[in-house]
Amino acid sequence: MTSKRSIIIFWALFLVPTLIIAIIAFKLLSHEQERINRSAIDALSQRATLISETIHLTIETVQDNLTKSLFGLDSDKLIKKLIEWEETNPLVRNVFVYKNKKNLEYPVRGLESTLEQRRFIARYDSLFSGRTKFDFNAMSLRDEPKINRVSDSYSGLDRKDLDKKPVKSSRQKLVALSKVVQKAPVLEPQANFLETNKKQPVEKSGWIPWFSENSLHILGWVQNFQNGPVYGVELELMTLLSRLVIDFPKLSKKGAALVLMDGNGNFMHQSGKWVADPDDKPVDIIPISSLLPHWQIAVFADEKGFGSTKGFLYVSVILLGVFIAAILSGGILLTRLTLQNMKDARLKTSFVSSVSHELKTPLTSIRMYAELLLSKRVKDENKIQTHLSVIVNESQRLTRLINNVLDFGKLEQGKKTYQKTHFKLDQFLNEIIKAHSIRIKNQGLEIITQIDEQSNYHVMTDKDAIEQVVLNLLDNALKYAGNGKFIKFIIIKEDAVIFLKICDDGPGIPSTQRERIFEKFHRVDNSLISNQPGSGLGLSIARQILRDLGGDLFFEPVPGNGSCFTARIKYHGSD
Amino acid sequence: MAHLKSHQNQTIVSFFIAFIIFAVLAQNVWAGTQSSKLICRVETDRAILPSGDSQNVVLKITLDAPVSPAHVKRPFVNLALVLDQSGSMKGTKIEQAKAAAIEALTRLGLEDVFSVVVYDTNVHTIVPAQNTRNVQGIIRTIQQIRAGGSTALFGGVSQGAAEIRKNIENDYVHRIVLLSDGLANVGPRMPADLGRLGTALIKENISVTTVGVGTDYNEDLMAQLAQKSDGNTYFVESGFDLPRIFSAELGDVLNVVAKKVKVTITLPDNVEPVSIIGREGRIRKNKIELYMNQLYGGQEKYALVEVNIPKSTPGSRLLVARADVTYENPFTRKWEQSSGTSYARFSNDPIKVSRSTNLDVVREYQLNLNALAQEKAIQLSDKGKKKEAVRELKESVARLKQAGSQYNDEELLKQAIELEVQADKIEDQGMTKKSRKLLRTESYQKKNQQLSQ
Repeated sequence: MTSKRSIIIFWALFLVPTLIIAIIAFKLLSHEQERINRSAIDALSQRATLISETIHLTIETVQDNLTKSLFGLDSDKLIKKLIEWEETNPLVRNVFVYKNKKNLEYPVRGLESTLEQRRFIARYDSLFSGRTKFDFNAMSLRDEPKINRVSDSYSGLDRKDLDKKPVKSSRQKLVALSKVVQKAPVLEPQANFLETNKKQPVEKSGWIPWFSENSLHILGWVQNFQNGPVYGVELELMTLLSRLVIDFPKLSKKGAALVLMDGNGNFMHQSGKWVADPDDKPVDIIPISSLLPHWQIAVFADEKGFGSTKGFLYVSVILLGVFIAAILSGGILLTRLTLQNMKDARLKTSFVSSVSHELKTPLTSIRMYAELLLSKRVKDENKIQTHLSVIVNESQRLTRLINNVLDFGKLEQGKKTYQKTHFKLDQFLNEIIKAHSIRIKNQGLEIITQIDEQSNYHVMTDKDAIEQVVLNLLDNALKYAGNGKFIKFIIIKEDAVIFLKICDDGPGIPSTQRERIFEKFHRVDNSLISNQPGSGLGLSIARQILRDLGGDLFFEPVPGNGSCFTARIKYHGSD
Repeated sequence: MAHLKSHQNQTIVSFFIAFIIFAVLAQNVWAGTQSSKLICRVETDRAILPSGDSQNVVLKITLDAPVSPAHVKRPFVNLALVLDQSGSMKGTKIEQAKAAAIEALTRLGLEDVFSVVVYDTNVHTIVPAQNTRNVQGIIRTIQQIRAGGSTALFGGVSQGAAEIRKNIENDYVHRIVLLSDGLANVGPRMPADLGRLGTALIKENISVTTVGVGTDYNEDLMAQLAQKSDGNTYFVESGFDLPRIFSAELGDVLNVVAKKVKVTITLPDNVEPVSIIGREGRIRKNKIELYMNQLYGGQEKYALVEVNIPKSTPGSRLLVARADVTYENPFTRKWEQSSGTSYARFSNDPIKVSRSTNLDVVREYQLNLNALAQEKAIQLSDKGKKKEAVRELKESVARLKQAGSQYNDEELLKQAIELEVQADKIEDQGMTKKSRKLLRTESYQKKNQQLSQ
């Protein structure tokens, strides 16, 4: 009980610190993982910001160039040129020419316009009917706070302002350099044209993000002269989007996605393998541009970690697992060793008790009969002979016991030496049987031998060792099968092997014990309370001797009751 | 002297033979040039019109595309296949799509340009635009396609267009073939939005042919994209038809005989345009403008236009319309033109008027009206008005039957019977996905005079 309690205390002392270390380590690793995740999400957000800046810059460039091209159109062939644009330029969805008082000059209202044009007119009805001025959003866009932008929208600006717009980043500088300012032939109008039309150059322009039918449309306009026509184009957003998504950077990380979303939260484009759902909450949202109001880039990520960041957690958990497994394995190993030692200690105690008992019994008999003979009270010659034979038998038994103990020591240390001689096993077995026949018969057992006389059983082995094996098996049979009817000795030769079997019809050995009986100190019964003498070494020694001599010893159950021990000995031939 | 005379005779004979050979060759070339010319015809529904009040007349402007000349190298093709590899394509569909892609590849010539874009949640160009010299390498890449993910259809088409643009400057026939079996759930997904993309692509002379597989794709979206970009559209119920469809489509693409076709119909001052039937176009005062991206060898494409002609007197003659067609000949790479004119005579004899009916114009007019009726039936069904949808179809059936019986036209009667079966089916089972797709595809194919179906 004390030992068990010690083990429980040991495990308690062992496990508690281990668990505390494991929990702390796991917490630290989780924190580290979170930090890595945050860094990765920050990196994604920065990437999204860069993308939004690129998109903004691209749209701004497109609008810049379109505005300049619009300014450059020949006013005499304005409608024709605009129609050409509409027919050939994928970026242009619709074109228009609006005269303040004459209303819309192109597209023409009514049947002459296509369905698309009719929708276009309806879409911008408040502009084309004069209810809303084209530069209505000039101030609002000009005053709009700049949200982490490299540049901002412009609307209602003079052409001079357009060319002088401050350059705020290196990228914008690069774009500014790449811009080819088209020389507009109409910028220097003929004097008589101005005179006849009494027009003053104003060069106004602007871009209007326009919401209609729950979607965004973008209209660009210019006006060259005071009271002159306002004309312009409607950008084809599908073309713009189609070109933008091609250059959208690819995201190879699993568990993360950058999603371009329109003002209604619809996914316009996605990069990354994370299957984002419109109902999912993004970890970050970056507005794209005032040029695309309410459009944004949403950053979706698996908050538990994504892509390469998960690797850290996996490796850490594996290392932690290995650490805990190593500690637990060590604990289990120590516990097993402790239990084994405890078992060995119990067996040794049992062994000492057995041996003491084994030694005491013959010594008592020898001493008792020797004292009896010494007192000369026994006159009968037959009785004297009987007593003397008891003394001799008991001393032989004592000798065997001591031999076993001594052999066990030698076998354990591997120091036992063997003197191999050439002899006939059947002949040698018969001698042993003959020598012990009285002992066997006294137990009331019939001796049965099954030895084929025609065969020869020459062996080259240690005669004394074989005798010790046979006697150990015989002693066991006499001890445990004493109530049986017979003891059977069998010799069988198969090829180069001779099997020597000693069988009985005793109670046999339970199946659970059949292999354990060959363990040292093991006894089927409890040695301390058993009536049968024995040290628990006989079978262990017998097997070890036979194995040392190149053979083996094993147990064979007998159908019904009984046991059969088979010794395998190498056949040596008859030279 | 005799020797000299003999030599002279030989020279004359040689010259004569050379002359004959040259004449034959010249005749062949001339004949080849003649046969490669596109013919434009303008016809009214009746050659003799009833005199009297102003009336509406149907005009059919027919473009007879010539057969591809055998002795001239065909224009090179710049083909981008855009394949849906979303999760719903798993199994037979993706395997057949791969087989179809390989079929298309093997039909191309060494100078043609081929690219493959696949899309699921993301878009990937697995075969960048390249000549088809490394066929085995491309086939290996195609065979590695695996299905899984969402449907970024818009991104796929955009990427396909980007691959086409790599060679847009070259004088190729540019074509995207889009295959999808599901609803676009990443990117713009409204049919009108994809139609706008198609309109933008046609401005770059890129046509998109759409192939819908199964019954779960958005046929409106696919038809709009094809219609606005002047491509073909197909509906296949199972993946097993894909190789055949791709083969047919490629047959068309390899057989382009006219590009960037523009038809301008000019009406006299006293004739007014009323409407364009079945096609999109522009009416600008007395001009009607129509565009077609490509015409295929041997194909007959037409446009139907309704015009109003003024009061007339018996025996008078009127110029109804003149059609001018300009197009790029892909073989000569030159702009060519063709034109046709239509005159009408007037009579107060109803029998003469009736006998002068142009059955071909009437038939196509009725079939186009039927296509419009089919589209209207779809719209009504979408609004939950099943009865009205069936009524629309049955009215169209009645019109077809009436016209078919009046002119004893088998094609109209056959169409009437087929539509009646469909109408009855819709009446019993409602507008199933399959019925809707069939109606939409048939309507488109009729309006667009799709060659391969």
